[in-house]
Amino acid sequence: MTPRNFLVVSALALLYIAVPMLLGSNLYIMSLLVASIAIGGVALAWALLGNLGGMVSFGHAAFFGVGSYVSALLVMKLGLPVFAAMLLGGAGAAVASLAMLPTLRLKGPYFALAILAYAQIFRILATEWQSVTGGAGGLSNIPRLPQIAGMDFGSKIGNYIVIVTIVLIFALIYQRIRASHYGTALRAMHDSEDATRIVGVNSTLLKAMMLLVSAFMTGVIGAFNAHYINFLEPDYGFSGLWSTLPIVAAIFGGYRTILGPVFGAVVVYLVDQLVFKSFIPSGHQIMLGALLAGMVLFSPSGLLPWVVRKFGRGRNALA
Amino acid sequence: MLWLENVSVRFGGVTAVNSLTLSIAADEVTGLVGPNGAGKTTLFNAISGLVRPSSGSIVFNAVDVLKVPVYRRARMGLGRTFQVPQPLNRLTVKENLLVAQRFGTGVVNDARIDEILDFVGLADKAARDAGSELSLSELKALEVGKALATSPRLLLLDEVLAGLETAGKRRFMQMLKDMHVKFGVGILIIEHDIETISNLCKRVVVLNFGELIADGSPDDVFRDPEVIKSYTGATHA
Repeated sequence: MTPRNFLVVSALALLYIAVPMLLGSNLYIMSLLVASIAIGGVALAWALLGNLGGMVSFGHAAFFGVGSYVSALLVMKLGLPVFAAMLLGGAGAAVASLAMLPTLRLKGPYFALAILAYAQIFRILATEWQSVTGGAGGLSNIPRLPQIAGMDFGSKIGNYIVIVTIVLIFALIYQRIRASHYGTALRAMHDSEDATRIVGVNSTLLKAMMLLVSAFMTGVIGAFNAHYINFLEPDYGFSGLWSTLPIVAAIFGGYRTILGPVFGAVVVYLVDQLVFKSFIPSGHQIMLGALLAGMVLFSPSGLLPWVVRKFGRGRNALA
Repeated sequence: MLWLENVSVRFGGVTAVNSLTLSIAADEVTGLVGPNGAGKTTLFNAISGLVRPSSGSIVFNAVDVLKVPVYRRARMGLGRTFQVPQPLNRLTVKENLLVAQRFGTGVVNDARIDEILDFVGLADKAARDAGSELSLSELKALEVGKALATSPRLLLLDEVLAGLETAGKRRFMQMLKDMHVKFGVGILIIEHDIETISNLCKRVVVLNFGELIADGSPDDVFRDPEVIKSYTGATHA
């Protein structure tokens, strides 16, 4: 077994066997882990759009919210199976992102602001379209994840297994895109879009594809979250936190790496909830701000690249 | 064959190219000269699609290229380089060519990439970061290599020799001559150096204030009083 394969098998064993066995009985820790990995999944999707598509989004809450509402409504009103509805939630978010395609002409802060505005539009739609979404009152009793072949995916361990699997699949998709010719062209587009167009790259199409993929991933995570917490309202589903937390996590963890955003989300969320919150019960997020500022100042590439540099192993597996 | 008819490019009240009619054979090396601000690079931008002409038509191999998006013009066989080299940053030298080949031709042929790298003199720099580890002459060679990787039939070279020292310029000029023969690619080259143009081209087109003022062999064109007045100055009389 190569060192790389050994690392991968060890990581999978840790995620799928060790964590459930050691922490499975601690429902509080498991719920923190599930929440942090879900944020990590959105952070990964956000980083994919930024790293490959070259777009900084402040509006991923829109995809998160659309995915959660689509999935919840498909299960509650049409009786679709939860897992199928979650995929359709992702598809719904991808369809919603089509409305944002005109913003691809914009660059830098203009794109970021435009997509932020779109997120607000979707929140207002969810609030006002009462006959379908339940309006500001939201949806309650959203069906939990099902039990299949004796495995209760609605339990804390089941939820954990599902979100870990979703995020790992997304990381694999991200890795495959990045390693492809499309990924190479996308990386090149950041600083020299004209130069890539001149050699035949349809930059607008590639950016649109990244927006769709990123929206789909975020929508699936949003759908998972709806069935995890069994409740949804516009101010929660489209909360700005679903846009800002993943950004903090991705930058903290290292947004140019594939697993850095997930790593960052888990570290940031767990440290915040388990350490900072115990010292500063109210306003503990101030410590997160200080932590992020310190990270940007002392290791701008993020925590994961710093760990890789420091310990010098697994560079290929993590980068 | 590239055919431009009554092409004008205006930026607000400024006319950069004024009702230009011109044909360029895709199997020749043609020089495009003129003083600064004559509209040469703007013309390249219009042909390659980075600027949309205000009026007129541009036809390449019987296709109206103004209806073709920028990225598809590479697949039609229209290649170009930039006056200020624009390497695909974050990629290695070889990846630059791979992207150009993959998207410019639709296929990937590693042997062909190696052949081009060797031809432009970057074989031993293939793994270098294109954005930060190349000298000016290497960046210029990369511009040409990238364009060649798209298998162009007509290559627009924008001051590709500018900034090179004499020996480097001579080597580069020989490379362009060899490229024309070896790869069967037509060249339209913007260049200020009269000697270079005379050496490379059988035909020279002169622009001034966006208008065509001369078109012919280098000997004839550089003796033309209007060209001397507008571009070369008295020293070339």
